[in-house]
Amino acid sequence: MSNGAGEIALSVRDLKKHFGGIKAVDGCSFELPKGRISGLIGPNGSGKTTTFNLLTGVLAADSGSVIYNGENISGLRPYQIFNRGISRTFQITRIYREMTVFENMLSASSMRVSEREARTRAEELMEFVTLTKLRGEYGGNLSYGQQKLLEFARALMTDPDLILLDEPAAGVNRTLLQNLLEHIHYLQEDLGKTILIVEHDMNVIMNHCEKIFVMDYGVKIAEGLPEEIQNNEHVIEAYFGH
Amino acid sequence: MSNWEHLRNFVVLAAAVVALLFVPPIFSIYIRSFFMFMMLYVVLALSWNIISGYTGYVSFGHVVFYGIGSYATGILMVKAGWHWIPTLFAGAAVSGVFAAFLGYAVLRLKGPYFAIAMLGAAEGVRVIATVWESLTGGGDGIGFPNVENSWETYHAMLILTIITIIVAYWVGHSRFGIRLNAIREDEIAAQSLGVNTTFYKISALVLSAIFPAVGGGIQSYKVLYIEPDSEFFILVTIYMKLFAMFGGKGTVIGPILGAVILYSVQEITWIKFPTAHLIAFGLFIIFVARFMPRGLMGFAVDRGWARKGMVH
Repeated sequence: MSNGAGEIALSVRDLKKHFGGIKAVDGCSFELPKGRISGLIGPNGSGKTTTFNLLTGVLAADSGSVIYNGENISGLRPYQIFNRGISRTFQITRIYREMTVFENMLSASSMRVSEREARTRAEELMEFVTLTKLRGEYGGNLSYGQQKLLEFARALMTDPDLILLDEPAAGVNRTLLQNLLEHIHYLQEDLGKTILIVEHDMNVIMNHCEKIFVMDYGVKIAEGLPEEIQNNEHVIEAYFGH
Repeated sequence: MSNWEHLRNFVVLAAAVVALLFVPPIFSIYIRSFFMFMMLYVVLALSWNIISGYTGYVSFGHVVFYGIGSYATGILMVKAGWHWIPTLFAGAAVSGVFAAFLGYAVLRLKGPYFAIAMLGAAEGVRVIATVWESLTGGGDGIGFPNVENSWETYHAMLILTIITIIVAYWVGHSRFGIRLNAIREDEIAAQSLGVNTTFYKISALVLSAIFPAVGGGIQSYKVLYIEPDSEFFILVTIYMKLFAMFGGKGTVIGPILGAVILYSVQEITWIKFPTAHLIAFGLFIIFVARFMPRGLMGFAVDRGWARKGMVH
């Protein structure tokens, strides 16, 4: 499997989103390396989740572009972006609480594949995240960690090329987190997927991401390798002040 | 769900069809009429359930589709001289197209706003039917030529019920239905996971509009007279909703059970308490809402008598 060294998976150019007088994202630009795990960090309110929502079409950008596979996907509807191979999870899990685990999985299957194929894929992914025994249980009856795993597995139903994970470690115990991180590395190393993680847990970001982007007040203030980010003055100032 | 379970369900449906085909001849016209209207409410409750039970967009104006079907049959039979059967197809087509346009406009609204918009649509069409005298006969309505048609209409309603159950069964056991459920659960998540929610919601509304229109057409030919207040009567929508919720909305069997049981209860209470049957009916519904908020099927699932979910 090619690791896509040097290739760009997604290019964000001068992206802007204002809510009234609040500049949630204010001219943000970055490029995601293909086949790598990247991190997007920043203090609370820095615009990370808004950026995620702009990349996935949940919010419409005021201006700027998002180039994916040579196409500007900014302005497309969420389902169109999903169907182009970009999938996501949410900061607070958005599993379907009154649908079973198996139905949650099937809901995200492509209608271009047969039902038999969709069922097989769902079974494989439930096995992948060790939820097979809970396949007939309502999503709302799962523990929070299991809901995170379900949402993660559901996002993989269509075998996306780019996976955006919004705070995958939040509220997850260490054992489950380790499990989740192993799955993420498997996707990147063995399947060549591109992954972008928004996370507040610096252990996750520094130990598992190859490239890190830092946002503050809606703009990118730094990017680089983990050790570069740890010593970046702008980043230290954004997190700890003068 | 395994092939064996699908087969079992179709055997049950086939047994019910055989019973409804061969039992009524030994009963009176009243009993035959009772079964016909019970089947009509099975159709209405299942149809309401497709848009409101699965997607969570609770319609308070579904009678509009029933009324459109009634008037399509009335106008085309009496004023254009059509045979009654093609008028049912025409009513379904008009209702489906109307639902597509209506859905495009009102399915952007959520919760009570959608409910009120649907109520407004039904009232609007009722007013049009009242004032457009040259076409609809206005408040005087349309009278049909008097014919004996109880067997024709009975069999037509039976066929419509079978088709509606098959379509509802398909919705309830397909990825189409799962996607409708996903919209009910979390529309933003559904969009982000590949569901073109506008397309699915409009499709569900169109599907849920076709069968009530055909049912309305058969009913109008059965009673041989239509007028706006009865064909667009809000109580018809309330019955659809109550029957589906009593049985268990978002399921296939729930609306069928709800319509069969509650329509029977209503008929019995009407015979026993002709002036107070609505009060008795209302008390019964309050009891059910208090102790079985997810309907009979929810009650059964909570006790392990039925499986969770619609696809297994």
